[in-house]
Amino acid sequence: MDTKDKNQEITGHEYMPPDSVVSPLQLDPDLTVLAENDLATALSENELKELAEKKEKPATPLQDSLRRLRRDKRAMASVGVIGFLVLLAIFGPFIYQHIGGPYDSALNGTISPQVYHSYYHQELDRQDEGPSAQYWLGTDDLGRDLLARLMQGLLISISIAVLVEVVDITLGILIGVLAGFHGGWIDQVLARFTDIIFAFPGLLFIILVAGIFGAWADTHLSSIPIIGANGNARLLLVSLALAFVAWPLMARYVRGQTLQLKEQQFIEAARTAGTSDTRIILRHIVPNLFSIVVVAATLNMVNTIVAEAGISLLGLGVQTPGSSIGLMISQAQNLVSSHPWEILLPAGVLAIIVLCFSFFGDGLRDAFDPRSKD
Amino acid sequence: MVQFLIKRFIGLIFVVIGVTFITFVMGYFAPGDPIRAMMGSHYDPVVYVQLKHAYGLDQPFFVQYWHFLTGLFRLDFGLSYQIQNRPVWDILKDGVPISAELGFWALMLQVLVGIPIGIISALKANSWIDTTNMGIVLVMYSLPVFVFAVFFQVLVVAIDNGTGAQWPVANWGNAWHYSWSDIQFKIGPIVILALSLVAYLARITRTSMLEVLRQDYVRTARAKGMRERIVIYRHALRNALIPVVTILGLSLGLIVTGTFFLEEFFNIPGIGETTLQATQYRDYPVIQATAVLLAVAVVIGNLISDILYTLVDPRIKAS
Repeated sequence: MDTKDKNQEITGHEYMPPDSVVSPLQLDPDLTVLAENDLATALSENELKELAEKKEKPATPLQDSLRRLRRDKRAMASVGVIGFLVLLAIFGPFIYQHIGGPYDSALNGTISPQVYHSYYHQELDRQDEGPSAQYWLGTDDLGRDLLARLMQGLLISISIAVLVEVVDITLGILIGVLAGFHGGWIDQVLARFTDIIFAFPGLLFIILVAGIFGAWADTHLSSIPIIGANGNARLLLVSLALAFVAWPLMARYVRGQTLQLKEQQFIEAARTAGTSDTRIILRHIVPNLFSIVVVAATLNMVNTIVAEAGISLLGLGVQTPGSSIGLMISQAQNLVSSHPWEILLPAGVLAIIVLCFSFFGDGLRDAFDPRSKD
Repeated sequence: MVQFLIKRFIGLIFVVIGVTFITFVMGYFAPGDPIRAMMGSHYDPVVYVQLKHAYGLDQPFFVQYWHFLTGLFRLDFGLSYQIQNRPVWDILKDGVPISAELGFWALMLQVLVGIPIGIISALKANSWIDTTNMGIVLVMYSLPVFVFAVFFQVLVVAIDNGTGAQWPVANWGNAWHYSWSDIQFKIGPIVILALSLVAYLARITRTSMLEVLRQDYVRTARAKGMRERIVIYRHALRNALIPVVTILGLSLGLIVTGTFFLEEFFNIPGIGETTLQATQYRDYPVIQATAVLLAVAVVIGNLISDILYTLVDPRIKAS
């Protein structure tokens, strides 16, 4: 939930080694395993051939990292869960709205699942129900379908995470590389700016923005289709604010990595060969930022998702009739004693998302930088 | 050392000016005319001009900013938009000791629990104790406070309903008083706030301790035949705690955001709760005041941890 404090320790030591730096000689893990077994019985001819091919063509650092990542069971399971939740958020509502027959509502006449399985439809005589065939996860205190609301909430979480990360990565790389490569005033401005942003503890800045401009967004941005409608108007505001506080950290990581890369011999060689600065940056520096950017972005995604939930929970994010995991928690707050299920559901799902992202982020970091483990 | 601190102090002034400026600009360009909104249907041009003057809103931009900045030193944050002529500080001041109390005890717990967990984990590195510890710590660290708050409240309600106990689900009791009923109110929010702090510190302590245990002087101490206890507590631990000091400063950021949620969840009348109420009435000066107050508190916290750092680390003193 805290935007930067958590990220600050993504690297236990100073910087990750660039991908292109040849790591100290390591035994091929596959071979070490084999050495323990009986070689002759363990290998078929094909496998031997494969091994021979492997020897000829050593794996790139990226392939090495991916292999390490695949072996991390916790991280892979987390990816599975995240993938499932993403699919659920994107395709779930569409499928769910085609399941079930027409329903004779006492208040709304005969309605199809397209209506009663939507996240904003209220069936006021069916409040606070438990899971049933019609409402798979039950209904909330206004008779709205909890599963539909949850899926919409997931969609909000995912879209805001992607949106913020796009801005974060673009700005972070652009400013970070320039600051690291050229130094000078860009570096100075970046350093000062980061200091100021870091002084705003986490959500405080977003609370400030959402608190002051939220009402304005409600009236002026709600006419924008999809992203503005259904109480989502403040989301744009919140995501901009989140991106605004997120990018300096990314830029700082990128800057550090660029500084380190700049001193590497292959950059020196490129420069001696007369390569222009732009080309050095695009061809040699940016590709080598891959691992640090991916790790930082994954870990920052958790922060974004939590921050959005938090800000909606405080009543400054998504507004009714829209849905968000944070809003679901806040609306069920008075029902803790009578219907704890309604608050446990969104809180539990959020906990699962956060843990999966953290496990995956940790796995990524370990895979890209095995030395960071202890 | 003096040079280092002066440099930090100049940086701090710069940051405070930046933070106040951003906050001020946002309030200045806030949509809508607060005076008009305040007057509602009783609009009267004469009163409007008077009010605008009273709130200082008829002044040029930089004059207003200057008043905003200098007012901070006198805890003068201007007047509230919600309640006419009521100073902002008047609204916030009751909440400050309560929020401070919440943060203070969480910080205490962090030190008292986080450091031992980190040390134990480092000493038993890679054993099952360490793995379990770090597993729990990872969960404590990753999950946001409000998820824990939800779980806690559901649990308390379930226990109260099941056993007929009367453990309070929300509210705070008297600030800085510790009768049994006060403690009942306070223990939940404090522990929940401390969870992520403890986890954070435990991780840092563990890493730092492992680093130190690998140093030559620890090996030398062992080689001399020193007792393990002395090696660990006198030689290793002291040095391992140096980076921990800086973490305490950084923890303030976590505390500040955490209190917002806990005050909302547990109905604690601290400044977070007051500020959230102010957002509903578009009482911008209150939001601005809280943002500046908390940001300045965090910056000062960092400065204090810098000072402590120079005191405990002789390497900085020398340079």
